[in-house]
Amino acid sequence: MDGVTLYFRLIRVAVQARLQYRADFFTGIIGVIVMNTVTVTLIGIMVSRFKHLNGWTLWEMVFLYCLWLMGHSLYSFFFWHIRALEDYLVEGTFDQFLMRPASPFIMFLAREVQYLGVADIIFAVTGLSLAFRNLHLQWTGIQWLFFGLAVIAGTLIETTLALIFACISFWTGRSRRASQLLMRLNVMVQYYPVDIFGYTFRLIVTGLIPVAFMNYYPALMLLDKLDPHSPWAWLGYMSPVVALTLVIISSIIWHLALRRYSSAGG
Amino acid sequence: MRLFWVYLLMYSVYWVWKTLYTQSPGAFGVSLKQMVTYAILGIFLDIILDVGPEWYIANQVRTGAIDTDLMKPLDFHFHMLARSAGEMLFGLGILALPAFAIGYFVFGLQPPGDMTTSVLFAVSVLLGFFVFFHIGFLLGALTVVTLDIRSIAWAYYALISFFSGQMVPLWLFPDLLRKISELLPFQAIYYIPMSIYIKTVNGKDALQALGLQVFWAIFLAFVSRWVWGRVHARLTVQGG
Repeated sequence: MDGVTLYFRLIRVAVQARLQYRADFFTGIIGVIVMNTVTVTLIGIMVSRFKHLNGWTLWEMVFLYCLWLMGHSLYSFFFWHIRALEDYLVEGTFDQFLMRPASPFIMFLAREVQYLGVADIIFAVTGLSLAFRNLHLQWTGIQWLFFGLAVIAGTLIETTLALIFACISFWTGRSRRASQLLMRLNVMVQYYPVDIFGYTFRLIVTGLIPVAFMNYYPALMLLDKLDPHSPWAWLGYMSPVVALTLVIISSIIWHLALRRYSSAGG
Repeated sequence: MRLFWVYLLMYSVYWVWKTLYTQSPGAFGVSLKQMVTYAILGIFLDIILDVGPEWYIANQVRTGAIDTDLMKPLDFHFHMLARSAGEMLFGLGILALPAFAIGYFVFGLQPPGDMTTSVLFAVSVLLGFFVFFHIGFLLGALTVVTLDIRSIAWAYYALISFFSGQMVPLWLFPDLLRKISELLPFQAIYYIPMSIYIKTVNGKDALQALGLQVFWAIFLAFVSRWVWGRVHARLTVQGG
């Protein structure tokens, strides 16, 4: 059985396991939708006072947030537990993955699903469609294609960054704090266009921990906000490239980490 | 690490308001300095008030350890209050003062103007703590029925940060939402102390606002005791 089939079969099992807790499932979904609604309403209240925030109108900001949420929802549905890697390592659960006759990476990834991602997807799709209508967007085939790529790139960027940060625990035993740092940088780019912040911050989220490529840069392209005279306009197209680069880097780190692994003796 | 997060949060609200003000100064009714102070104060209070008894109760209910709490010769409601107050003092000493320093030196958080304001603010924060504690306590009591609060908690925290005016001051809300939030107890947690601090609410209005906080604190304390009495009767201890 090849890796992909195995992965999806395990994911199905994980979904079935989750669906056993039905009440928790529904309250959780409602909780996440309320949370997202509150977030967007708060942005709305602030922006509606002035019509725009540094040139970003309300619906453009909804688009920005939902584009982020779209990539994030796929990540949180399938890969949320990456941050739990340190617990697997400390408790010795990780040894199970190594003993099974399949790639430990697939065993690790297919271990769990986080159903709350469903609520994020529902919210993101609704928000994006509303924004699309209200902004009267007319995309060419290429832009649609790029939109799809940007969402996948967003998922990959968040997943690989989470993986890289979680892998720190192979060396240090713990990585929660590093993961929290990542999550928090992420929270900042999701609400607001990066161009309102100072230079250092923009440099960090573009070059060092490139979360801005999850929504800000692709949104520039998709909303026709790219300034053709700016020497940095090409960044609007770079999300897939950034994602691919991160995939390569994270896979190198994962393999280095595995080679270094010594069991906690669970 | 917590402090770094505080720094990031302050950084983001600082830039958002700064950008908005550069664009259209005067759209908010207060000066940029006041607004930044308000926003940073919201983060500062969040640290002090991060004492929810709901997580403790939920955890005790889930593991079944709640029975040891109930066997103690101590009123449970009072026990929780003392516990949360302790946590608040801890947060105040360890995190809040450095956070205040960051706000003051890096982002231009204004110190309270005069003695009266400082005293009113301190009293108001304390009352806000009582209100916040009791809402959390009620949520905790709910876990005795539902056995878990994790998913409810998401919605709860989101609604609090919205209706309490922690992120965006209530006077910027559209009329309908403002009326709703004025009827809810959440404004007593953040909005009232913070408005007193930046003096958008002062003099007689400030005393009136304090009165409202006192009302909510007492009312919620009674509701909490009543509800706890009810759920205590139907408490199931898991495993035990």
